[in-house]
Amino acid sequence: MYALPYLIFMRIHRAALDARRRDRTWRYFAWSVVAGTTAALLVAVTLALAATFVRVGWWPLALAIVVLFVVPALQPIVQRRVLVRLGAVRAAYWIGRSVAIRDSEALGLVCAAWAHAGRPTPAGEAWLAARRDRRAPLGDAEITATALVAAARCDHATARDLLRSLERVVEVHPAVRELAGEWLACDCVARGAWDELAADARAARWPATSLAYLLEGVALRRTGGDVSRADLIARWLLAPHRRATYALLAIAAPPGPPVPPVPIESTAEPVEVEDPAPGERASWPRAIASHLELVTGTASSRSLAHAVRAWDAALGDDAIRTWLARRALELGVDDGASSTPLDDTGAPLGAVDRALRAVARAAADELARIADAAALGAPLTTGGPVGDALARQLRHGRLDSLEAGFTRWAERRSTGEVRAPIDEWREWCALRAAYDAAIAAGGLELRRLAFPHAYTTGTQMAAWLWNTRKEYALSHAISSWLLAEALAVGDSEAIDVCTRNARLAVPTRMGTVKP
Amino acid sequence: MRQLAENPFFVLGLSPDASRLELEREAQKLLGMLELGFAAAKTYQTPLGPRPRTAELVRAAVAALRDPYQRLLAELWARHAPPPREAAPAPEPTSAAPGLSLWPRP
Repeated sequence: MYALPYLIFMRIHRAALDARRRDRTWRYFAWSVVAGTTAALLVAVTLALAATFVRVGWWPLALAIVVLFVVPALQPIVQRRVLVRLGAVRAAYWIGRSVAIRDSEALGLVCAAWAHAGRPTPAGEAWLAARRDRRAPLGDAEITATALVAAARCDHATARDLLRSLERVVEVHPAVRELAGEWLACDCVARGAWDELAADARAARWPATSLAYLLEGVALRRTGGDVSRADLIARWLLAPHRRATYALLAIAAPPGPPVPPVPIESTAEPVEVEDPAPGERASWPRAIASHLELVTGTASSRSLAHAVRAWDAALGDDAIRTWLARRALELGVDDGASSTPLDDTGAPLGAVDRALRAVARAAADELARIADAAALGAPLTTGGPVGDALARQLRHGRLDSLEAGFTRWAERRSTGEVRAPIDEWREWCALRAAYDAAIAAGGLELRRLAFPHAYTTGTQMAAWLWNTRKEYALSHAISSWLLAEALAVGDSEAIDVCTRNARLAVPTRMGTVKP
Repeated sequence: MRQLAENPFFVLGLSPDASRLELEREAQKLLGMLELGFAAAKTYQTPLGPRPRTAELVRAAVAALRDPYQRLLAELWARHAPPPREAAPAPEPTSAAPGLSLWPRP
């Protein structure tokens, strides 16, 4: 009876937090104020009660109610201000568990990983790994905890990739997603990736903590979003770390008018411009200069296309063929046979073509290596020797490596090699990233060629993970991706199978998810 | 790019118009200088910047230029390459992105 007001307040507090996660409007502030007020009331009433108990000498009871009722209400502050700074992994785990009602271990695990990131130790990492591996099947908390452990090792790229991969996981712990979103927002600010953060904010990818909400506001304002200065100040007042984030208010100025692009001075002349007098020395220096620019600078689709066109123009230049024929004759280049006939210029037939083929091969090999490293696609060409060879090399090389990757992945089904669920997830994410990079570079043609093998191995693995390993979320992520790919390439049989698989209800610790 | 970085004419430091005799003399001179550890012989200029010169590279260069077809290819690259580049100064270390330490970043 006496606990009833407390329970009502607690309920309102949780409802306010849940409502806040769904909103990014003025309601966000309203729910935040409600949540803060109820938390303050809960703490005040409990502390008053505890003081009374201490006064009458019931101090063990006072201690118990403080631990049971005050600590959960103050958990966000205690976690951020105390446990993370101390690197108190175990305390963060148990206090985190005391807050959540459903699958409380998930939030505990992530809070522990956050505390570990504050002051990493090998013992803390081992303890976290053991806790994580004990939980099956894989869900968003295990992935987030692994990402935070990676961040603790300064492996921010892995942490970022893992947290971004949460979008493919159907199991959703809102508090876990909030922390994942906050880490990603802070990471974007640290990298200066304002556009990325603004895109997250516009898509409302993550439920926002008050800190993430502020950072999103700064990113939106910097990228021309509709966030007023008053709105930003309100967000800042609501967020923690106000002293550290005050500087962000100053840099959150809306962008100025667009500046006309300054033409970039290039050492190589653009190939598109017709040379009024193309001669022996015009097309070749241009091709070599474009090539060197690509080798020594930052490779882009434009610079690659530029180099390919320059090479194709140089290799088709009649002036260079004439020079090569003359020089081959002067040097006495033998084509390997004593009875080699001479062409109409008197040079050994084949010497010119042999030399030009050697140059084309060397140029295409190096351009393919650069394109592969920068994940660039083969430029559209009109059928020159370098353009064709480059397209062939890129297509075959990427397809081969993709197929080898998917085959190795699927072989584990038969070899019986069992990996931890998080390792299965990481391997799948890596394969998918390789597939996406290859498709982005190779276009729809490569996508159509690569899909059948990915589909065969992917469906086998999805079935194995679902039926044998009981990794429902992982299996569902594979099926959903295969369905999206099947739709993109228009494979009707695959669409049928993947639709059935992707529509299966997914059992998670937060209840069954019906996609 | 090997065709430029290890072009026999650049390795020997000669123009593509050099005669066979000049090539042989230059190779002998460079081998001698390398044997004696002359600093001037230890690097050669290419359009990709300076490269270390070794006795093996010099021998391979002169051997390649004795073959008419290899010389034809080497001339084709060397004639049309941009002038050799000086070593670029080491880049200034760039400052880290605006560092807000809101989440622990050890």
